[in-house]
Amino acid sequence: MSASLAPECSPAKEKYDNCFIKWYSDKFLKGDSTTDDCKPLFDEYRKCLQIALKEKGLDKMLDEARRNAEERELRKEQGKH
Amino acid sequence: MVKFFDNVFSYEYPFSAVTLAYYLRYPNPYSTHVLSADTLSRDFDPVNQTLTTTRLLLKRGKLPSSVTRFLPKIKESYILEKSVVDLKKMEMRTETRNLEWEGVLSVVESQTYTPLPAPIAHGTANDDPLRNGTGLADDHTSVRTVVRFESRLGGVQKAEGIASRVASWGTGGVQRGIEAAAYQRMKENVQRSKEGLKIVLHGLREKGVIATMVERRERKVKEMRERATGWGGIWGRNKVEAE
Repeated sequence: MSASLAPECSPAKEKYDNCFIKWYSDKFLKGDSTTDDCKPLFDEYRKCLQIALKEKGLDKMLDEARRNAEERELRKEQGKH
Repeated sequence: MVKFFDNVFSYEYPFSAVTLAYYLRYPNPYSTHVLSADTLSRDFDPVNQTLTTTRLLLKRGKLPSSVTRFLPKIKESYILEKSVVDLKKMEMRTETRNLEWEGVLSVVESQTYTPLPAPIAHGTANDDPLRNGTGLADDHTSVRTVVRFESRLGGVQKAEGIASRVASWGTGGVQRGIEAAAYQRMKENVQRSKEGLKIVLHGLREKGVIATMVERRERKVKEMRERATGWGGIWGRNKVEAE
C-alpha cells in the first residue's frame, strides 16, 4: 500500500485501504453492493488527513482546485449553447 | 485547450482486474517518484453502480518541463487524481492534473478503460450475446490516454508575469512552444505508468486474485444463462409481468 503524505495518518489509511480493496473486489465489482462497507474506516482516516492538509496549507489549494473544476464545468455548459 | 498526446494500448487482463490494479498501483518499481497517495473522497452510488474517487498524489521531481519552463524550480508536486468506475457501462474514466499553478496552466491526463471487443482481442467474431452481458471479451482491457494542456488564462488573469506571458502565446503559440523533448518525456511517462500497472496486475495474477475474479464472472454468466433458458427464467419473467 502507498504511504500517506502525513505519516501519523498511515495506520488509519492502511486499515481503510485494506477494507476498501476487499470491498471493491469482493462486492463492488460483482455489481451487487448496496452500501460502502468501509465508510466508518474512511471517516477515521479522513479526520486525520484533514488536520494534516490544513497544517500543510493544502486545504486552500484543494478548495481552489474545486472552484476551478466548477468553473470549468460551467464553461463547458456555456460552450454547448 | 491543446491536445498534446493521444494513444491507445491494451492490457491482457480483464477489465475488473485492471480497475483494481489502478487503485493498487502505488508503490511499484516504476513509481519510486510517487511519495504518497491519499484518498480525499470516495462516493459510491448504488443506483447507478458507480464509484467516484479523488486522490491526492505527491510526486518527487518536477512537473513536465513544458510547464516548469514558466515556473520556479519545483522539487515536489501535488497531483489531483479523479476516477469514476461505471459498472453498468463497464468503463473507468480517470483524470489527473497538477494542483499547484493550476490557475496558470494544467497538464491534464485523461484515460478511458474499457473491455476490449472480442473480435479485436482475438481476431474472431464473438457471437455469444451472454458473454459478459455486453458482448465484449472480458480478458482484455483497452486504455485510451489523452494528455491536454489547459489554461484558464485569457478571460481571467490571476497571476501577473507568467500569466501574461502564457496568455500572449495563444493556442497555436503554446503548441509551438512545446518542445519535442517534452513530448518525448510525456510519452515515456505514459509508458512507465503502463509498465507499473502491468507489474501490479502480474502480482494479482500470481496471488490468484484474477483467477478468482474470472471464476466469479463465469459463475455469474452461467447463472444468467440458466435464468434466461431454464424454468427459473420463465418463472422469473412471469413474476415480473405479474408485478
